[in-house]
Amino acid sequence: MLEVQCSHTRPGGFQLNVRFSTDQKVVSLFGPSGSGKTTLLDVIAGVMRPDAGHVLLDGETLTNTERGIHIALHRRRIGVVFQDLLLFPHLSVAGNLNYPRKWGRRSKSPITFDKVASVLELSALLSRRPHSLSGGERQRVALGRALLSSPRLLVLDEPLAALDEPLKSRILTYLDRVVHEWEIPTVFVSHSQAEVRRFAAWCAVLDKGSIIAEGTPDAALGTLGALSLQDDAAPANVLRLDDVFRTQDACVGTVGGQAVRLPDLPPKALGTVYVHFPPESVLLSRDDVPNISARNHLRGTVVHLVGQGTAVFVGIDVGQIIWAEVTPGAVRDLSIAVGNPITCLIKAHSLRVLE
Amino acid sequence: MLNDVEWNALGLSLQVSLAAVAASLPFAVVVGYRLARGRSRLLWLLDALSSLPLVLPPVVTGYLLLLLFGRHGPLGAFLEQTLGVRVAFTWLGAALAAAVVGFPLMVRAIRLSFESNDRRLEMAARTLGANRLATFFTVSLPLASRGIIAGSVLAFARGLGEFGATIMVAGNIPGQTQTIPLAIYSLAERPHGIEQTWRLVGLCVLLACAAVVASRLLERRTHA
Repeated sequence: MLEVQCSHTRPGGFQLNVRFSTDQKVVSLFGPSGSGKTTLLDVIAGVMRPDAGHVLLDGETLTNTERGIHIALHRRRIGVVFQDLLLFPHLSVAGNLNYPRKWGRRSKSPITFDKVASVLELSALLSRRPHSLSGGERQRVALGRALLSSPRLLVLDEPLAALDEPLKSRILTYLDRVVHEWEIPTVFVSHSQAEVRRFAAWCAVLDKGSIIAEGTPDAALGTLGALSLQDDAAPANVLRLDDVFRTQDACVGTVGGQAVRLPDLPPKALGTVYVHFPPESVLLSRDDVPNISARNHLRGTVVHLVGQGTAVFVGIDVGQIIWAEVTPGAVRDLSIAVGNPITCLIKAHSLRVLE
Repeated sequence: MLNDVEWNALGLSLQVSLAAVAASLPFAVVVGYRLARGRSRLLWLLDALSSLPLVLPPVVTGYLLLLLFGRHGPLGAFLEQTLGVRVAFTWLGAALAAAVVGFPLMVRAIRLSFESNDRRLEMAARTLGANRLATFFTVSLPLASRGIIAGSVLAFARGLGEFGATIMVAGNIPGQTQTIPLAIYSLAERPHGIEQTWRLVGLCVLLACAAVVASRLLERRTHA
């Protein structure tokens, strides 16, 4: 259970004013850059003392400005993975991983060095220095080091921002393993909808220093509020496909009872799969289109209609929300309106699988 | 190669400079760290005091030290009565002079080094559970090692060359307080003595080179 209430004015005049509480394990703070999410993270981690507010974790007060409480950084037991990772350059990977056990609090924890090294695949790197590691390796070391401090809460600041696409999905796999292995409550900051939907059970959407939506990622990101955000947080499509199985030449999964075809997958990736695709790759049609190469025809109902610049984003509920980007002319000609039925046409090869 | 007087001067110079560096290093680290990180309004006073020996003529520094540590000076009398230790006109006096004169150089290098440390690394150490003291010794200090080595070498070299303050506090007693610069001075005062100084001069150059090489090697080892 995490409860945060905080108001803070930064020297430049930026104001952060938020309040939320959640009992979900994996929580995301989502928003464009400059929305205040890192400041909020600093307050939770204890790096920064807010002008006014409180932070409660599992009933324990970590910060309460009214009562003058601010638990010291080294007593908070919050494992932080900073955006710039902050590995100790003068220590080897093993030295970095051992640091919390050697110099920090002693505690009996199910998180052991060997386990962390095996889950995050660090065994081969132990004698290396941080500067000789690749970006993804550094990320894993920083995550491992935070875990070995036996945290009650894991806090990640844009854990994937600096990585390229293939690495991102690999680190996500590691994060998944960590969350499942030790069930440590996790708060992570992100400006990617794909990450949030893929990973978080609960999310708060921040814009200009306040929370404009909160709840499950589908609910919070599917609201109009999320669309008022700047371009780097424009709508993205991430679908969860269940019961994915393989036919001779393709794979098939389901969304809301409708079949979705995707390109061939390696056998171990079957089961539940996340795919993402850009809103501009979605075609809309009022009627069935029998003779067309696009493999996926998903029927749904229009639930959102949002103009953004010269484009209109149409949110369609097909069991999960799909966003389609179309022109205002298309909206007029097809008489697209909230509540109307519509068919989304998506090419199988537009679907990119998130591992 | 060298005669007894020269051997004595060399041995004494090394002893005095090493002792000076060893004794002043902890203070220099504390002062350097305070100056780099402190928030007190009185930091300018600490800054001024610690750089004073750099701008004062060494003879004046020596004179002030003699006032403090002489047999009738407040600190000198105290040390002699309680510990039975005499500072003035012993090798300890020479080491004290070298330490004080080299102190500002040491502090400056160490302070710069602390200032260039990434303070967020210290914050990271704190989030991993290390308290302030542990963070200082395991993160701040190792990361400042370059500056600490450079400052020590600088102070060591400055100690080897110390003359003005040394002659005031420790005098020029062969075998007891006569370091290489004082020996050169004594020789040069004698008729035809100037020809005999070249060996000591060469020794000084050699020592300076050795110190520089040693510091480079140390720096390389600490940042391998």
